[in-house]
Amino acid sequence: MSTQIDPRGPRFGAAITATLLAVDVYLGLDASTLSDAHALLGAITIGFLWGAVRGPANHPYGYLFKKLVRPRLAAPKELEDSSAPQFAQLVGLLVAGTGFVLGFFGITAAIPLAAAAAFVAAFLNAAFNYCLGCQIYLGLKRAKVIR
Amino acid sequence: MPEELRLSLVVGLIAFAGVLGWVWRVRTGRAKAIDRGELIDLKRLQATKSGLPVVAFGRRVTFLQFSSETCSTCKQTARLFDELEQTAEDVLHIEVDITNRLDLAKKFHVIQTPTTLVLDHTGRVTSRIGGAPKQSTIDQQLGSFAI
Repeated sequence: MSTQIDPRGPRFGAAITATLLAVDVYLGLDASTLSDAHALLGAITIGFLWGAVRGPANHPYGYLFKKLVRPRLAAPKELEDSSAPQFAQLVGLLVAGTGFVLGFFGITAAIPLAAAAAFVAAFLNAAFNYCLGCQIYLGLKRAKVIR
Repeated sequence: MPEELRLSLVVGLIAFAGVLGWVWRVRTGRAKAIDRGELIDLKRLQATKSGLPVVAFGRRVTFLQFSSETCSTCKQTARLFDELEQTAEDVLHIEVDITNRLDLAKKFHVIQTPTTLVLDHTGRVTSRIGGAPKQSTIDQQLGSFAI
């Protein structure tokens, strides 16, 4: 189900996610804080899962945006369909989730690597309005990765 | 891992993402001239506009925009062209959702959306714009078709 949302909402959420992911990379680079990094990546993965299943508008960050940020901004020029950011959340879920699961199998390098990859996407979304759904959805569909 | 190294790696990651975003922003939405472009077949395109089939090209220029379902910038691009259309009646904007028209995606090698083909009054492709077109790109294209 898709709804119409303020396009700045997902970017606000992406900024929070990018910050958390940068912290996660930092924590994941040292053996003494690796378990913290693993736990944080798990929390971030749950965040992506929430966004991918329930959509960005029903995400805690979406709620935060509605309550705290949007009242301070001018009205948006247009609304966007929630399917684009929802797709991006799904990609985030796959990337972060892969690192989180591999972490349980002793492949601990996957934790900072997955966090770093997800960071790049979240950062580009927040800072440059880069839209994963625009860039790769059609390519994946053409490659028959998704139907 | 030493603290300084961890910090430098995280800063390096942020810088990498920043450069990536900057390069992407500079390159996206620019027009690439096409020599001896092909003629667009409106029958095959089966485009509709306000519910009616499109049967003629713009008298001056046509912007044929390919969009997809999970694309937020497609909508912003469509709005830009719609505004332009209202000020210049010899300009036509056609938007085709190719999410389920993979035949078109394949034929025109569309990977990212929006991808816009610029057509002359006979329907021949003269330029191609990958990503959300910059206003300067649109102005420049219009200028090249000045009567």
